[in-house]
Amino acid sequence: MRRRASLVLLAFAVFFTALSPLMRWYAFPRLAKIPPGQYQDMVLEARPATLIDYGTMKARKVPKVTIVQTLKGDVAASDRIERTAGRDVVVWDTLSYVAGPDGKMVSQVPERYIFDAHSQEPVHATGESVDGDRVRREGIEYKWPFLTEKRDYTYFDAQTRSSAPIHYRGTRTFHGLEVYYFEQTIPWTRVPLPKKMPVKGITPRAVEKTGTTRWYSTRRMFWVEPVTGAPVNGEEIHKEELRGGDLLPGGGKVTAFAGHVKMRDDYVRSTVALVTSQRTLVLLLTSYLPWGFLALGAALLVLSLHLEARGRRPAAPGPDPEPALSPA
Amino acid sequence: MRALTAAAAGLAAALALVLTVTAAGAPGGTTSPRPLLTTVPGHP
Repeated sequence: MRRRASLVLLAFAVFFTALSPLMRWYAFPRLAKIPPGQYQDMVLEARPATLIDYGTMKARKVPKVTIVQTLKGDVAASDRIERTAGRDVVVWDTLSYVAGPDGKMVSQVPERYIFDAHSQEPVHATGESVDGDRVRREGIEYKWPFLTEKRDYTYFDAQTRSSAPIHYRGTRTFHGLEVYYFEQTIPWTRVPLPKKMPVKGITPRAVEKTGTTRWYSTRRMFWVEPVTGAPVNGEEIHKEELRGGDLLPGGGKVTAFAGHVKMRDDYVRSTVALVTSQRTLVLLLTSYLPWGFLALGAALLVLSLHLEARGRRPAAPGPDPEPALSPA
Repeated sequence: MRALTAAAAGLAAALALVLTVTAAGAPGGTTSPRPLLTTVPGHP
């Protein structure tokens, strides 16, 4: 009976011990994924900010500029791309909508971002774009990979349509979470005019004809929770200028938008809450379950060996048999 | 020999479980009907 129990325990010991690495290195990359149908919005504000007045072509101070970022997963498009890509793919349609203090549109940049659901690597497929322009992304955008490392990453900048390093600058604590702080500086670069201009009747082509160009520079900062790879805070010191041409003769330039953009407090709190819950799920697959199964497997193995050893021990000698009665 | 069989059964069960769970995967979901926002939402 003991030997049968020790064999059952041995089977369970092997079961749990084998589950440990399988969970971490086989199941985790296949189960931890960005859902294809995700919908998320984010509000950032610059208080105060500088905006161009297109009537006078002069910059003016405004109390607030708001940036509303929305991302929406296109499930049908991801299914279609997965058939040829041979891996799980997420297709995000995003919109960065910049509103002035009166709520009117200052600029808007729609994007289609296609990436691997687990590794966050970009997937190059038809439709990948920024403001209607075809692009070929390198590196990451919006989110870091699961189990973010303490190193520089390549980050895609939608305004310049190009990628550049985003540097790891150390580990910080943010709202009780350990986060990695990343920073990227984009030097003054000439960028395309947005397809939708804030003034009715003015098209980017009409502005281009005047010879006036748009320039942009930014310093972006991200506080990234490393287990999920999700940024829990983001800031940007953003500057845009219009330069030269007939609109600004004599090589003149004017600030089109400048401000220190920060996530609104209520969105910071909700993002931290969301990331904290997701972090537990990822840790379950990468740490809690693998280590728990390994410990359980070891304990069951010890118990199994113990029972086996007791089963093999020779039986203790019994009392001496009574001497046979000799016939009288 | 019996110990080897027990160990093999445990290993096979672990492999079967992990392969089944990963093959099933996560549900695909649907595209949200909500639009991309062009107004400032009041709260998250």
